[in-house]
Amino acid sequence: MNKLWIAAVSALALLNGCASVPQGSIPVVDSGVAVSNNERVSAQRTAGNYPQATAPRAAQARTITEDSGVVVMIPGGAASVSTPISTQPFTPGPITPGPAAAPISTGSYTPSNTYSAPAPITPSGIPSNNSGALAADEQLDGPVLALLTTAQQQQSSGDLNGASSSLERAQRVAPREPQVLYRLAQVRMAQGDAAQAEQFARRGLTFANGRPDLQASLWGLIAQAREKQGDAAGAALARQKAKVSL
Amino acid sequence: MTRTRSPRSRSKRPSGGLRPWLGWAIKLSLVGLVVLAGFAVYLDAIVQEKFSGKRWTIPAKVYARPLELFVGQKLSKNDFLTELDALGYRRESVVNGPGAAAVSGNTVDLNTRGFQFYEGAEQAQPVRVRFSGDYVAELSSTNGSKLPVVRLEPLLIGGLYPKNLEDRILINIDQVPPFLLETLVTVEDRDFYHHFGVSPKSIARAMWVNTSSGQMRQGGSTLTQQLVKNFYLTNERSLSRKLTEAMMALLLEMHYDKREILEAYLNEVFVGQDGQRAVHGFGLASQFFFSQPLAELKLHQVALLVGMVKGPSSYNPRRNPERALVRRNLVLDLLEQQGVATPEQVAAAKKMPLGVTTRGSLADSSFPGFLDLVKRQLREDYRDEDLTEEGLRIFTSFDPILQMKSEAAMGETFKRLTGRKGSDEVEAAMVVTNPETGEVQALIGSRAPRFAGFNRALDAVRPIGSLIKPAVYLTALERPSQYTLTSWLSDDPLSIKGADGQVWKPQNYDRRSHGTVFLYQSMMNSYNLGTVRLGQEVGVPNVLKTLARLGVERQFPAFPSMLLGAGALSPMEVATMYQTLANGGFNTPMRGIRSVLTAEGEPLKRYPFQIQQRFDPGSIFLIQNAMQHVMREGTGRSVYNVLPRNLALAGKTGTSNDSRDSWFAGFSQDLLAVVWLGRDDNGKTPFTGATGALQVWTSFMKKADPLPLDMPQPDNIVQAWIDPHTGQGSDAGCPGAVQMPYIRGSEPPAGASCGGQEPASGEAVMDWVKGWLN
Repeated sequence: MNKLWIAAVSALALLNGCASVPQGSIPVVDSGVAVSNNERVSAQRTAGNYPQATAPRAAQARTITEDSGVVVMIPGGAASVSTPISTQPFTPGPITPGPAAAPISTGSYTPSNTYSAPAPITPSGIPSNNSGALAADEQLDGPVLALLTTAQQQQSSGDLNGASSSLERAQRVAPREPQVLYRLAQVRMAQGDAAQAEQFARRGLTFANGRPDLQASLWGLIAQAREKQGDAAGAALARQKAKVSL
Repeated sequence: MTRTRSPRSRSKRPSGGLRPWLGWAIKLSLVGLVVLAGFAVYLDAIVQEKFSGKRWTIPAKVYARPLELFVGQKLSKNDFLTELDALGYRRESVVNGPGAAAVSGNTVDLNTRGFQFYEGAEQAQPVRVRFSGDYVAELSSTNGSKLPVVRLEPLLIGGLYPKNLEDRILINIDQVPPFLLETLVTVEDRDFYHHFGVSPKSIARAMWVNTSSGQMRQGGSTLTQQLVKNFYLTNERSLSRKLTEAMMALLLEMHYDKREILEAYLNEVFVGQDGQRAVHGFGLASQFFFSQPLAELKLHQVALLVGMVKGPSSYNPRRNPERALVRRNLVLDLLEQQGVATPEQVAAAKKMPLGVTTRGSLADSSFPGFLDLVKRQLREDYRDEDLTEEGLRIFTSFDPILQMKSEAAMGETFKRLTGRKGSDEVEAAMVVTNPETGEVQALIGSRAPRFAGFNRALDAVRPIGSLIKPAVYLTALERPSQYTLTSWLSDDPLSIKGADGQVWKPQNYDRRSHGTVFLYQSMMNSYNLGTVRLGQEVGVPNVLKTLARLGVERQFPAFPSMLLGAGALSPMEVATMYQTLANGGFNTPMRGIRSVLTAEGEPLKRYPFQIQQRFDPGSIFLIQNAMQHVMREGTGRSVYNVLPRNLALAGKTGTSNDSRDSWFAGFSQDLLAVVWLGRDDNGKTPFTGATGALQVWTSFMKKADPLPLDMPQPDNIVQAWIDPHTGQGSDAGCPGAVQMPYIRGSEPPAGASCGGQEPASGEAVMDWVKGWLN
């Protein structure tokens, strides 16, 4: 009997010891399980501020007006897709430097009229060492071309989110390059977000002065986007603009 | 208890014979065995369940933006080196492996570490960066081939922890640096590769040491037992726990091989406390103490970390550097003694300093204001458990270089203004964004930016004063047939009778009237009377509509006092509003997060760039022009005492009643910053927008060296020469003629030529403007 006691007590003690294992803290969640929201890899913000087109994705990007500019075929890109990524300017006409700094009261600051010289035009992300006849942002340089190429590859392999992400990276590098905005608009379109596609194309237009070919492509994309959103009249208007640009 | 019972029971049964005794003993031991076996099965379940499942919960990690490198990028060498230091790059004379950098003149050679990003992996690679001025002039591989674009790994800026939690960075046993495993085994458990979980030899040794010294000096625990203790059991010291620990150690060794157990140990071990956060595992310890990935650690660092296992707080190299150094060298001696390292290696390692980063350097800073923003955004999309347990990787737009510059600007400006009466109680907030992408790059929620508390950048909702004025003037400029920048506007006194019969008589800041002025002059000098008159003409409800289109979601009543900024906004809301002005009339919801990856590097969620055109670019071009006049000759002109004249900037000062709030919001091409100064108790401050917030803003812009504002001229804008006194059309050749932008069709008819002279420099022109103050 006494031995039983000993065994029982020591067993109890042992069990007691392991009762101190903080059971509650043992995580048994399998790391392979997705976190609560199952919207994996979704570019569409469900709670976004802007109306989202609910139309399913469509590959209408390829119906875009063929571009007459010098076109670089991106490796891996579908041959039928016209990509207006050009290393050459669409037209050699220089863009108008914004005379935003135009002084109205030139003489009132300092006796030496220093400030009347317009500020040097340095588009962000684009080197200013180009003093040729071309405005700096009319040709794509290394980083932007490389990122657009990556985005093109991602898009052709069906990774629209990756393409979108790479294009936003390109946009951060060269925020005012209309070709980046054009591609962003295209990818948004492919993602089924016609509203944002139109917006990006419109933003592109504000930077596409003096580049009629690109303007025409942007208007063409706007026409598609409007059609997709059920705005036939707006689409017709945009098509008109696309013709005028060309 | 058992001990006291046994003698008594023995005395109860004096001589019962040996046989029944033995029978009982056999039966009892059988029972005991069954109980023990059952217990072992139970323990085994625990051991396996936890070890085979997800072993640890990992708080989400928040990363800064990765620094992009490309030719033509505006980046000074100093800023680049700051970033490299924060990322824990070793400075070496010749770059040797990832995480090393060598500087010579304007060229920096480095070997990046590589990282898994949302849209793919960035490989580790050797890179040469040549700087020219404040630009990247050349980017190549060290073999000379040009590289178009390279991304550094992003700086880890924090995690999302529950109240008190363990934090760790999981590491794989294949990624450990040389010496780590050998050192660990040598110092903590020399028989590790030979025992079965418990080591009778070391227990015996420990007992010998302890009994001979009369105190608990040495534990006989194997690495396996230490792991079991930390991983499964509480910190209680008792015999039963010790037995459980031993059994579990044996069971663990039965199921798993030595490498798996060692890997778990490397990740489990406790190495220090960081406030409420417990630093676990060598992976995080390496980042925490050296700002380097574990794999890059050298012998002296490995010895320090392993030495700390014995007493994480007493050997903490930041708190007790001398003790930590002694301990490290002791470990190094042991390695030499045991033949793990050569005497030369040990001698070299001993010469090295501890090499821990100082807290408060960029790598070890905390940015509570920005992290708060990130958390709020994440809480909309994730449950708390997902954020604190799943090891998510959050990629943000945070720019540590801009953050440090904004903190420095804030600190220095306050230091400069200390003399002012009442400035001590003044609090501060600041938001820095990139107007071209809508991304938040830096955020200060308190005058003491390291202090996590009331986040004024998001939560201090205060009257914005004259910051509202661009909305008033923009509402007018959207009607080009009625208003242009050179429309005449009366600044004479006026009174407005409210619906309740009260009469409101707004006043100018200088309590004077300025007669009839151009519309843009009323804006640049922040005249209240002219603004109220204009606002009444276009209608307060329409001004509020403009405000909403600019991105302000808050609703306001259409009182006339709204025209002078009686409505209250947070600095972040002001940033949203001005972002639309800065970005050509395109509104963007402010983003702090770019994307989220799972712990395994799988893409989970993206926060895409979204824009929406809210205004015609032409009217935005005009309001930007007026806001540039604010900086050139208006209330913001002190900025050019510090910044170069050729840097085009646009902005607006704001001061609420009795100087309770001092605001400035303004932008260049690539940077937008909003600064607020004021008291938490809403008391009076010694600052106006110009003498307070603008000073911080200027100091920040000086450090950040932004690109000049340069909005492309929209198609519907024409530049017309006008006479600056009459506003009538003039000609380029006329003396004093100046150019102003107009929406096509609204420009004054061209004036007659004045004989083809060059435009005069206009010494005498517009001196009258200069005399006016705020």
